Amino acid sequence: MSIAVNIPPFLQTLADGMKQIDVSGDTVGECLDELVKRYPRLKDRVFTGVGKIHKGFNIFINGESASPDVLAKPVEDGDIIHIAHPIFGG
Amino acid sequence: MTLNTGRLLRVDLSSGKVSTETIPESITEDFVGGRGYGISYLYQELAPGIDPLGEKNKLMMLNGPLAGNMAQAVSRWMVCTRSPLTGAFARSVCGADFGAWLKFAGYELIIVEGKAEKPVYVHLTADGCQILDAGEIWGKDTKETQAWLTRQYGSNTRTACIGPAGENLVKYAAIVSDRRTAGRCGTGTVMGSKNLKAIAVTAERKIQLADAEAYDKLAREQVDIIRNNRGFQNHKEWGTTATQDITNAIGVYPVQNFRYGQQTDYEKITGEQYRKLRTGDMGCYSCPARCGKVHTVTSGVYAGAHSEGPEYETIWAFTGPIESNSIEASIAADQLCDDLGLDTISTGGCIGFAYELYEKGLLKKSDTDGLELIYGRHEPMITLVKKIARREGIGDLLAEGTMRAAATIGKGAEAYAMHVKGLELPAYEPRGAKSQGYNYVTANIGANHCYGYAAQDIFGVPEPRPTDRFSEENADVVIYNQDGTAFKETGIVCGFAGGWGWVPDLFGKLLAAARGIERFADNDYLNQVGARIFNLERAFNVREGFYRKQDTLPERMLTEPLHTRKAPGEGQMVSHQDEFLDEYYSLRGWTKEGIPDPEKLKELGLDFALKDMTRTKTK
Repeated sequence: MSIAVNIPPFLQTLADGMKQIDVSGDTVGECLDELVKRYPRLKDRVFTGVGKIHKGFNIFINGESASPDVLAKPVEDGDIIHIAHPIFGG
Repeated sequence: MTLNTGRLLRVDLSSGKVSTETIPESITEDFVGGRGYGISYLYQELAPGIDPLGEKNKLMMLNGPLAGNMAQAVSRWMVCTRSPLTGAFARSVCGADFGAWLKFAGYELIIVEGKAEKPVYVHLTADGCQILDAGEIWGKDTKETQAWLTRQYGSNTRTACIGPAGENLVKYAAIVSDRRTAGRCGTGTVMGSKNLKAIAVTAERKIQLADAEAYDKLAREQVDIIRNNRGFQNHKEWGTTATQDITNAIGVYPVQNFRYGQQTDYEKITGEQYRKLRTGDMGCYSCPARCGKVHTVTSGVYAGAHSEGPEYETIWAFTGPIESNSIEASIAADQLCDDLGLDTISTGGCIGFAYELYEKGLLKKSDTDGLELIYGRHEPMITLVKKIARREGIGDLLAEGTMRAAATIGKGAEAYAMHVKGLELPAYEPRGAKSQGYNYVTANIGANHCYGYAAQDIFGVPEPRPTDRFSEENADVVIYNQDGTAFKETGIVCGFAGGWGWVPDLFGKLLAAARGIERFADNDYLNQVGARIFNLERAFNVREGFYRKQDTLPERMLTEPLHTRKAPGEGQMVSHQDEFLDEYYSLRGWTKEGIPDPEKLKELGLDFALKDMTRTKTK
């Protein structure tokens, strides 16, 4: 089972410059856990101290928001996870 | 604690008279400042039905009660007027330093009235104000104009000015300060119509606060919160230059005049690609983000192009509408718009409109001065930007905006004009983010992304509740976003900084300390102020003949399915606009025609507008 996590530009420097990283897991939480195990510097940027996603981020699965209960959302083989931070304007 | 309501400067260009007034406590209590002051004065002082480009229109430049101090990201300023592009209420927000400098000179509001006989500029200091001959700078671009005024008055001078587009009365001309713009709604056009080239402020830093000690403590608290906020850290690094990565991925990046929600090969225009051409950053007064990313083109036909930006909206405006993947062309177009004084969103929208008319055969090569407007070709786009600013050839038609240009062309061209109330649509596809689309529909200035930004639809923000972005049943969320924006713009809080963890609680406390009015620390009261501002703006529009009929998305969104290529949302349409408006008006306390109900106006303390609502007949 392979899930692609799209690493946004603002996090790529913490992931050795990788733009997309393949992970495995049945939920968003499991996928992100594997991601931060492989790239530990991402952990503090993505997760709070109690294991939640920082308020400054939102997660998309195949272009759809994973909110609410982001970490419990199921994923399937071939899904693409995007990590984004909201911009209130443009 | 003393009361600090702020002062206004009134400049009558017809008579040459200049006067100052202290803003009455009653206005401050009800409207706080910034956008609240703008609509309050505009409603009371502007007679209905005046020509937006006539001498009876007024131009209001405002900062907020928090500007020019230690608090972060609150020194923005705005312009309020009656728009020549839409005929409706106009508010356009700008950054850089001008708002702080206006405060240093001792003012929160400048009201420009009348019309000068010949081109003039205004020079303002803490000691006085002069109306001076602008013969030497009329015709110059915004960079040259600001440099000239800095040479005259020294480095402690900040300027807001127009470029050739404003002088030529392009309907969507901008007011430019440094390299930031009050871009939307044709505020620069109104300035041009008054023969006013610039307002320059020379001033030294000066604090104006009711309780400086309390304010300082709160500001330090705010600095700590912002510094540790992830959203801030990301914004500092990237600004908005990577937003297109997500909007393309989810299918809301408008392409080919709003036919597609994703650009082919959008990997060529990602934030990472812009990062390669970044040569610096710029920011606004007392903001640590410095989110304006400077780009310089180093090779190719646009070598040497250099711009503070483009930011997300402008990246889109000069790629998506014509489906160009040239980031270099977008940088060149951004530079031109800033120099010439054009709103990038309306400029890009008008150009995308022209490309589609060319494709459909409604504009021919003989109509376009020989330009071949074929999707993907960016060279004609650059030529059109210049032609629009100078009103040359086809540029004269496009300078009127899509609504008027379509009416002039006829032959069904209206179907391709992407605007609401005459204001061109920004960079979020309404069919893929419907709460954002309905914000365009109901925003008092027309299609503006920042009037009630639907971060719930676009970024999955779960407050006040999560939304399904394809649902048309989120009227409560649209209102939440719009009223929240209105109260934050009393500040005037930067839209980006509103998401950095200190609004609303600290914002209200800062307002209370700045003004000396305790109730401003109450979030419920600020929400009521937001609703009061929004409703009075609506009343202004009703008085000008805007009702339900004008609350509509372009025909394309209602009749054509969205195509999203590889993104989700294929086939989406807006299908329940009437039902949405019924619900929205009901929640707002408005009639079926979209007129604020007498009871609602009384509840908000807007009794003075009642007479205008009862007098008005539906057009």
